[in-house]
Amino acid sequence: MDNTLIDVKDLKVHFFTDEGVVRAVDGVDLKLERGRTLSLVGESGCGKSVACRALMQIVRNPGKVVAGEILYNRGAEGGQAEIIDIAKMDPKGKEIRDIRGKEISMIFQEPMTSLSPMYTVGNQIIENILLHTNLTKEQARDLAIKLLDQVGIPRADRLVDEYPFRLSGGMRQRSMIAMALSCNPNLLIADEPTTALDVTTQANILDLMSDLQKSYNMTLLFITHDLGVVAEIADEVAVMYLGKIVEKSDVYTIFNSPRHPYTQALLKSIPKIAIKREDLDPIKGMVPNPFRRPGGCPFHPRCPQAFAECKVLVPTTTQLTPNHSVQCLLYENFANRIATEQKQ
Amino acid sequence: MWKYLLRRTGYMVFTVWVISVISFVVIQLPPGDYVTNLINQMISAGGEALPSDYEMQLREVYGLNDPMYVQYFKWISRIITKGEFGYSLVYKRDAAELITERLPMTFALSFGSFLFVWAVAFPIGVYSAVKKYSLGDYVFTFIGFIGLAVPNFLLALIFLFLSYRYFDQAMIGLFSLEFADAPWSWPKFMDLLKHLWIPVILIGMGGTAGLIRTMRANLLDELNKPYVETARSKGLTELKLLMKYPVRHALNPFVSTIGWTLPGLIGGEVIVSIVLNLPTSGPVLYNALRSQDMYVAAGFILLLSTLTVIGTFVSDILLAVLDPRIRLE
Ligand SMILES: Nc1ncnc2c1ncn2[C@@H]1O[C@H](COP(=O)(O)OP(=O)(O)OP(=O)(O)O)[C@@H](O)[C@H]1O
Ligand SMILES: [Mg+2]
Repeated sequence: MDNTLIDVKDLKVHFFTDEGVVRAVDGVDLKLERGRTLSLVGESGCGKSVACRALMQIVRNPGKVVAGEILYNRGAEGGQAEIIDIAKMDPKGKEIRDIRGKEISMIFQEPMTSLSPMYTVGNQIIENILLHTNLTKEQARDLAIKLLDQVGIPRADRLVDEYPFRLSGGMRQRSMIAMALSCNPNLLIADEPTTALDVTTQANILDLMSDLQKSYNMTLLFITHDLGVVAEIADEVAVMYLGKIVEKSDVYTIFNSPRHPYTQALLKSIPKIAIKREDLDPIKGMVPNPFRRPGGCPFHPRCPQAFAECKVLVPTTTQLTPNHSVQCLLYENFANRIATEQKQ
Repeated sequence: MWKYLLRRTGYMVFTVWVISVISFVVIQLPPGDYVTNLINQMISAGGEALPSDYEMQLREVYGLNDPMYVQYFKWISRIITKGEFGYSLVYKRDAAELITERLPMTFALSFGSFLFVWAVAFPIGVYSAVKKYSLGDYVFTFIGFIGLAVPNFLLALIFLFLSYRYFDQAMIGLFSLEFADAPWSWPKFMDLLKHLWIPVILIGMGGTAGLIRTMRANLLDELNKPYVETARSKGLTELKLLMKYPVRHALNPFVSTIGWTLPGLIGGEVIVSIVLNLPTSGPVLYNALRSQDMYVAAGFILLLSTLTVIGTFVSDILLAVLDPRIRLE
């Protein structure tokens, strides 16, 4: 039984700016399994946010989904498959608007500014409920209170009428989660939901999210650059570098036997309490200018194991095991490709 | 909310008081006093010079020998309790009469211009921000800069010329001939509306251009805020989310402009009214200042400024109603 909720194939999102085209997402393949958590990790600017916004078609101007498929199975779990391609939808059209907030919802990095200070928390949650269900205002309000209670907000019946600027960051992020869950989505996208919070609150929110994921049986796409968070929450991990997924596997494989030099470098760069300071090893070099990407493998200028071919050949996906793939020439049999590409 | 309102009311009362002091100073500015002026007038009208003890008596009667603060107090309490603004030396009439004749017209004109400015600037500002760098945005920006750059008296003159040239009549005044001295009636009111739009546009032009820029800039700031993205991720239509979130946020600075638009409009009103010969307070105030008709000038200054302060107060209340952050502060 195929349990895929969303199958992203060769997704490309480009920004058409005055200075040139930024290829923010440049051929991404991802599979989101029902009821599982996939963590998307990578350095700042590698295209995580853009990629996940593309799943809802809310990429900002001047960004556009230029190629690829986002095959979404909206049929019930275990039932008849009903596959639609989100990549083909008009970002302003009714089709995708009916999916947003109902089947796929999202929470954002900045709890301080993601809710409008002009309306009460309740108003902003109820808005989502009324948009996608046939509930009356009173029913929607009751549901909002129930949801707020569920995400651990004390005195939810009072807080529902409170303005966001009177709440703490953690409370606001809880309200955002309540809002995102209000229509029982198939997929919840969380774009660095804990980055802006203090450590204790971070841990609480993470616990809450993994609890809710289980009780709602939803798929979670969790974006972060914090590998500690990944270890805690993820089933699968996809490592992103300059708009590409360079390595993808289950969380144990990624932490225990990373293959891509970038993943290895990422893991070495996280401070663990147990290890000594001198073992800490930041990744050398800078993330390249988005307008001047290196030819060949995008990581080669910073890669400790780069060799001559890395400068010219773009690595393709190599399947190491059924659930471990990597884009790196170290693991690719590229002799044939050199021959064919020289012929052309 | 109540604390906020109380504070604002306090500011308002204080500002009006300062204005009244300034108005009073205006009366005292010209050399000589009321009695000197009166005597000069009598002489120039062919009368004889008065004996100086009679002059002293007059001063006593008018209270001009009292200390300044007593004089101020008498002047302001007469205005507040009896609505007496003194006497116009130029028009030879009660100043209050002159003011009540003219001030409502000024108010109508300013308020009309204000509504015009908002009604035009709001949709164009929103359009220009949402369709940034589109052809429409450039066209409105261009027209807006012309509106800002051309002084409105020049617009009024050009308009006068065109109306002479093509309609064979000058579109001046606020009433048709048959209504000019008629008592107020429904047809007269309609006649007023028919004439009002011309000065309203001429006066409002510059303010509109300015406010379009304000609205455009405010909204551009708001359009990329995270809460807009949240709203979009809920599946709201673009128009609905635009109006409920970023426009609502951008409205704040827009509303506070009531305060500073009004004085500008009243300033423009003076000049345009003079050019178009409108029966508003502008020309009378201008004449009063030129001919040192100080009681009239002070009365107008006091009332116009007070109206402006009230406008600011209204905008403050509106802000509190619109923005919970201010209300709950
Ligand atoms: N509005 C835009 N205009 C032009 N380029 C953009 C725009 N938004 C994003 N990009 C480009 O897309 C790339 C990826 O951005 P994205 O926000 O997805 O990064 P990220 O991985 O989420 O980083 P972070 O961890 O900092 O959130 C960036 O390098 C940036 O140059
Ligand atoms: Mg991001």
